[in-house]
Amino acid sequence: MAIMNAITIFGLCAAALVGLGIFGLIVNPQPLRKILAINILGSGVFLMFGVIARRGAAAGLGGDPVPQAMVITGIVVAFSATALAVALLLRLVLVSGAATLEAEAEPSEKDGR
Amino acid sequence: MAAAETSSIAGLLLVSVLILPVVGILAQLALGGRFLNWICLAVFPASFGVSAATCAVVWSHGEPLIYIVGGWQPPLGIALRADGISAAMMLVTAIIICAVAIFARVEFTQPSGAPEARAPFVFWALILALWSALNALFLGCDLFNLYVALELLTFAAVPLVCLKGGEATVKAALRYLLFALLGSMLYLMGTALLYGAYGTLDITLLAQRVHPERVTWIAAALMTVGLLTKTALFPLHLWLPPAHAGAPAAGSAVLSALVVKGSFFLIVRLWFDAMPGLGHTAGPQLLASLGAAAILFGSVMALRQQRLKLLVAYSTVAQIGYLFLMFPLAMAAEQSWTSLAWTGGWLQLFSHAFAKAAMFLAAGLIADALGHDRINDLGGAGRLRPLTFCTFGLAGLSLIGVPPSGGFVAKWLLLSASVAEGQWIWAAVIVVGGLLAGGYIFKVLGRAFTAGSDAPVIVTPVSLSREVVAFSLAVGAVLLGFFPLEPAEILQIGRPEILGSTVP
Amino acid sequence: MTLGEVLLVATLAVPLVTLVLALSSGSHRRTTILLVLAAIPALLTALFAESGTTVVLPQALLSLVLSLDLPGRLLLGAAALLWIATGAYAVLSRRGRENDNPFPIWWLATMTGSFGVFIVADLVGFYLFFTLVSLSAYWLVVDDGAPPAKRAGAVYVSFALLSEAFLLLAFVLLAVATRNDSFLIRDAVAAISTSPLRDPAMAFLVLGFGIKIGLVPFHVWMPLTYASASIPVAAVLSGATVKAGVIGLIRFLPFGVPLPGWGETLTALGFVSAFYGVLIGITQTNPRTILAYSSVSQMGLIAAVLGMGLATGNSITPAAAAFYAMFHILAKGGLFLAIGVAQKTRHRTEWTVLLPAAVVVLGFGGFPMTGGAIAKYAIKSPLGDGDVAMLAMVSAAASTLLMLHFLRCLRASRSHETRTTSAAEQSFIWLAIVVAVVALPWALYPAVIQASAHDALSFDALWKATWPVLIGVLLFGVLGRAPRILPMIPPGDIIVLQSWAWSGAKALGDATERIDEYLRRWSIAGSLLLVVTLALIGSFYVGR
Repeated sequence: MAIMNAITIFGLCAAALVGLGIFGLIVNPQPLRKILAINILGSGVFLMFGVIARRGAAAGLGGDPVPQAMVITGIVVAFSATALAVALLLRLVLVSGAATLEAEAEPSEKDGR
Repeated sequence: MAAAETSSIAGLLLVSVLILPVVGILAQLALGGRFLNWICLAVFPASFGVSAATCAVVWSHGEPLIYIVGGWQPPLGIALRADGISAAMMLVTAIIICAVAIFARVEFTQPSGAPEARAPFVFWALILALWSALNALFLGCDLFNLYVALELLTFAAVPLVCLKGGEATVKAALRYLLFALLGSMLYLMGTALLYGAYGTLDITLLAQRVHPERVTWIAAALMTVGLLTKTALFPLHLWLPPAHAGAPAAGSAVLSALVVKGSFFLIVRLWFDAMPGLGHTAGPQLLASLGAAAILFGSVMALRQQRLKLLVAYSTVAQIGYLFLMFPLAMAAEQSWTSLAWTGGWLQLFSHAFAKAAMFLAAGLIADALGHDRINDLGGAGRLRPLTFCTFGLAGLSLIGVPPSGGFVAKWLLLSASVAEGQWIWAAVIVVGGLLAGGYIFKVLGRAFTAGSDAPVIVTPVSLSREVVAFSLAVGAVLLGFFPLEPAEILQIGRPEILGSTVP
Repeated sequence: MTLGEVLLVATLAVPLVTLVLALSSGSHRRTTILLVLAAIPALLTALFAESGTTVVLPQALLSLVLSLDLPGRLLLGAAALLWIATGAYAVLSRRGRENDNPFPIWWLATMTGSFGVFIVADLVGFYLFFTLVSLSAYWLVVDDGAPPAKRAGAVYVSFALLSEAFLLLAFVLLAVATRNDSFLIRDAVAAISTSPLRDPAMAFLVLGFGIKIGLVPFHVWMPLTYASASIPVAAVLSGATVKAGVIGLIRFLPFGVPLPGWGETLTALGFVSAFYGVLIGITQTNPRTILAYSSVSQMGLIAAVLGMGLATGNSITPAAAAFYAMFHILAKGGLFLAIGVAQKTRHRTEWTVLLPAAVVVLGFGGFPMTGGAIAKYAIKSPLGDGDVAMLAMVSAAASTLLMLHFLRCLRASRSHETRTTSAAEQSFIWLAIVVAVVALPWALYPAVIQASAHDALSFDALWKATWPVLIGVLLFGVLGRAPRILPMIPPGDIIVLQSWAWSGAKALGDATERIDEYLRRWSIAGSLLLVVTLALIGSFYVGR
């Protein structure tokens, strides 16, 4: 029963993180915050995998290893995504002097080629 | 996969088709830019050959090709499986990537003697990564592995958008990346739910285990919407027009022709293979409604554009919509016409891939030659560069659905299925979409072939070989029109009997 | 292969090969004469290939089925004559502009399509050639690049695409009616008359072909196009390419079994066009526009004939309608050439144009001994004896009036300058067509209708043919006295509605653009993502 409670709590935490992440991603205008929001969202999803690993554990094992393996892979992917996003953001600041995604202009003629 | 399935020798083809492009990237990193040309010269033909061989083997055997990596059986091990649709997708991908590579050869060449340039290096690495990722998407059997492939695809596609490095393109790339990442997270959340409920992510096993219950519906919705963000189905298309219009021509061609189709392919896997039960709900109708909205909305937007590349990009938004009409038509309860819709949907995908690649390359050539791509100032340019505008026109005819072209056959099949199944609304959308496409294609061609107020001048000469490459892709779209108007055998290979058995 | 089969294939192959030659050769000076020669196999086919000759092309050529039947043969022969004549005219009038390369290419493409629709017997093939003839002609219309031509081209191509869209739906329905067993037009038409899909299929067929033949209210493209295209282009458009719609109706309507409802509808639509064309036509002063409205009227008459045939199940109808259409190909195409010749003819020799033109013009009213008389005689049987036949008589009177009005405007349009350039060669082409217009219908009547042409010379028939013409002449006299009573109507009449439609479309486009801008805001798209997710979950709960 205690385990069930822990699972429920962690499950709720995961849901809260996902909710926060999605909210931040949609509402926050600054790109950096969006990147952070994606990471929070990702953490929520990974926590969900953890909860599932725990709940789905076979008798005798502490946890189901498959979701744990997925979380590790997922973290690697999320890390690369963050790195790529930050690199792009830096580039954006470099060429435009400002970090904003709104008021987007149509690609200029020079870029269009 | 069932445990009885084992690898065959031919299955090694599947491994090499994933590895060869990666080997190319590694060789680039190890040997440096000096050998870039040689590496490309080796890797592209080799990968193409393997893709074609895979397609040939699948077709001639008439059954899926399977490779169990390391002999570890699924669900724990990884299996690669090429059924009819993956084989066809691999072949189309190989043809288009190689054609684009030939096109880009001049633009992204490593200058000999000069210090190593970065753009060529990055471009070729990205194209190869993209190729490998696409093949992984076509061959994957496990929803989590497919997630990894999907991310690889996104990471290869995003930098392609901002290769030119201008402010607008970097912004477009960032928007693309962030929106795609949101989609990935939704997809991942769906896989977590599915694993939690059924203890497997293997597509075949899932298909046996899923029940029509709440967790399945939520997972399916999350995964589908996640994939829709990357496919840019209306109204989730915010990133596509600036990204596809801003990339260099070769990049736009690959992005529009192939990358958006990668995530679409996964949606098909999900709906038709993993959860065929979704066909009994109103889900397919909803997807097709979004598709119909995309067709109408995207076409009107294309008609309104002043810039050629944006016109082509919005046309992609519209053409993606047609793909989703396949869902209600091929999943219909009355099954005598579903295989026709299935073939029609895939042919639409293939012919759009060829036509759109050709069109973006042609638009790039026009922009290169004239120094601009303002549609209003094209007056008479068709007489200066007839072959390029012929390319644009031929590809456009396929988009409109004029025979003989792949677009015509696809539309004919989809229309047949929709009127035979009594789903008239989709027939109306297909026809209106064709009319609007006619509008934007003739708008460009009319401008290009009639004299304007001041005649355009060629500012940069364009090599004939690049024109010929773009033209051959357009011819490819036309050749698909010689497909017989019946369900295609190759696309049925490895399908459940539901789709394969009934030919009207 | 028999000679007939070879000719049938050559009808399409020769223009196509010439097209490839024209595309690949740098200098077009040598290929211009090929414009004329490329149409000759079509003429030979019409003359020497037997009706019923059929060729099935291999899969690599789309499994096209070519087949020659009587209506197709009549139209093919007349169209080939017109293409040869106008081709020669075009070559002469474009002297010095041979290097203007797109023109020969689109000319040949349009010609291939025009021949193709007459001899192809399968659905996909028909759609292919119909598309070819419709869309290639766009480039002929805009060839001279002037703003009126561009506008006419835009209107033309819009209607062409619309008609293709309707036909695509119709053809798909026909194929579905055969359960995809056969793509032959014959089988599909047999299947459709008993299929539950019959009514939508018939509606789309009538709409699609109706646009092509300019049935009111889809006629607006005709006056604009014929008035702004060059003379030879207007001649082939009005004479040959429009008949793609006529052959379509002939091929796709299920004749032989009475089909009430649709027959009456088509007849009514046809007569509305027949009279509407005359009413607007007599207010026009540009001879080309008048001819365009005459085409609206004449095509309406053919539609009415086909409609009556459909309603009564009269099996002679296809041949009779094709016979009348054959007369129209040569007569209308010829009159357009007459406009071109008249503009170059000096005052003193004007009778060389006007006199033959008068012979052709009276034919439109069915004046005895003209080609039109026997053509009108041929369509008597489908029209029957009742009120419909009476309407046809009245329309003959109306046509006489319109064509006399044309003759007057033609006379007014002739050149007043004393130019040295002679139009002698063009005049010969025009005169040759006049001979064909008069002689061909009389020569072919017995073979087509399987009755002696002597019947048309009986006193009763002569009288019936004469009085509508007399009424027409009388009306012309009255109107000629008081030309001011006619209102001014712009060419294309209801095209003025276009500006409303245009501003409506523009508003719609503006709105779409604003919506797009809104939807592509990050926060909106993000919220929509959640909405779509919820909607999808909801949709899974809704069983079908």
